[in-house]
Amino acid sequence: MSNPIVLSSRVRLARNYQDLPFDVANKSDAASMCVARTANALRLSGQDAGFQLLRLRDMEDVQRKALAEVHLISKDLLRNPYTAAVLLNEAAGVSIMMNEEDHLRIQAIARGMELQKAADECFRMDDALSRQVSFAYDEQLGYLTACPTNTGTGMRASLLLHLPMLTILKQMGSVGQIVAKVGLTIRGVYGEGSEALGNLYLVSNQVTLGRTEQELISAVTAVGHQLTDMEMALREKSLQNGRNALEDTIYRSWGIMQYARIMSQNEFFKHWSGVRLGAAMGMLPVKLATLDALLEQAQDANLQALTESAVTGRELDEKRAACIRAMLKE
Amino acid sequence: MLCEECKVNEASYTLSVMVGEEVKTRHLCGDCMAKMNMNIASGNIKSLLSSILSAITGNDTPAEKAPEVVCPRCRTTLSQFTKTGHLGCPACYEAFHEQLQPMLLQIHGRVQHAGRKPLATEDAQRSRYRQEDLTRQMEQAIAVEDFETAAKIRDQLKALAEKEAEQ
Repeated sequence: MSNPIVLSSRVRLARNYQDLPFDVANKSDAASMCVARTANALRLSGQDAGFQLLRLRDMEDVQRKALAEVHLISKDLLRNPYTAAVLLNEAAGVSIMMNEEDHLRIQAIARGMELQKAADECFRMDDALSRQVSFAYDEQLGYLTACPTNTGTGMRASLLLHLPMLTILKQMGSVGQIVAKVGLTIRGVYGEGSEALGNLYLVSNQVTLGRTEQELISAVTAVGHQLTDMEMALREKSLQNGRNALEDTIYRSWGIMQYARIMSQNEFFKHWSGVRLGAAMGMLPVKLATLDALLEQAQDANLQALTESAVTGRELDEKRAACIRAMLKE
Repeated sequence: MLCEECKVNEASYTLSVMVGEEVKTRHLCGDCMAKMNMNIASGNIKSLLSSILSAITGNDTPAEKAPEVVCPRCRTTLSQFTKTGHLGCPACYEAFHEQLQPMLLQIHGRVQHAGRKPLATEDAQRSRYRQEDLTRQMEQAIAVEDFETAAKIRDQLKALAEKEAEQ
């Protein structure tokens, strides 16, 4: 389901094997054991339909990056290209990453505001695996993880939000404060440092110990609703005061996206945001689902993987503009 | 129990010091006990005093640098952990318990897990069924006063429990 603000919901669980050191990424024997054990456990659990085992070292760099761009694997997983692997069920949006910061990162993504759905998918995989293998667990501290910031539930529940009006009206500072008050955190998804390309943000729980998974999911969901209301109210307000300025931004982006012949990734993020805002407000004749798919396909690595040629620079920017035009015509 | 001096090896000696009416004890491993004896033999009174003092107060004297805490399983040291923020293995949680507790409280505001638990593995489940089965058989044997069989079953149960404890 497409949502005007929430693009997707993601949940991940950190799990570790009781008998292996945490830092297996740099110990190839333990790392191989981790991969073999997990793949075997998944097979024995009978829940392996649709999953394929991908070892990062056997993949092209562009394929690995393409998976990271659509968040099916984490950027941190790319740091261990020799030992990391993933059991991936792309259709279901479920991935079991191996040899990242923790031995396992069980992750599920769902479109729209569907944290519970993503969480249930993770819990199902967690239960299936935990019947076959022993995870490091302590009665007092819960699941033991490499970093104490994940101890307890090992769960991070996050929402990918498109917040253009809150950004334009410089409200993100106070949003950060609201979010921090309830033990959550918000950050830009794409881009370095404080910039948030495409006005896309990830809000997630910071705390993992002492709360149940349900409490954490409810907290993130509640903040998701609150930010949705705030953003929607600002959109309404801009229609009343300063409609021209808002329409100008949206239609300029719409024009550029439809007709440009060369487009850099940064420029794409900027105009994608304008077009999605316009589409969500019913101004533009384009489906939100198309724009969400475009966000994934028009990024560097996915574009390179799609065109199956090692194009870069200017040539890649031309491919991007062509891809955008084609998808917007549909 | 771990040696209270180096916090690495298993303690195998108990040092007792009388403080008034009270006896304060300190558990040491062979290595640290040997060091203590050497200090006595070489007349290194300062070191000996500091050891005895820490036995009494339960704290290291502030003048002495705190001994490095090392995880007995993966050999990760406390300073490595403080530097990287990453623990070496699940056993580090126990080794660095004292330092981790305030840190976890600061990060999460709570230190008692409230979420999901791992399900029993199929192996553990099978072992539990087997134990229940054996317990029933033992009770039946006792009921008919077949103590020889009961003793055999008791030994089997003990072996199973030990095996489980190892895992």
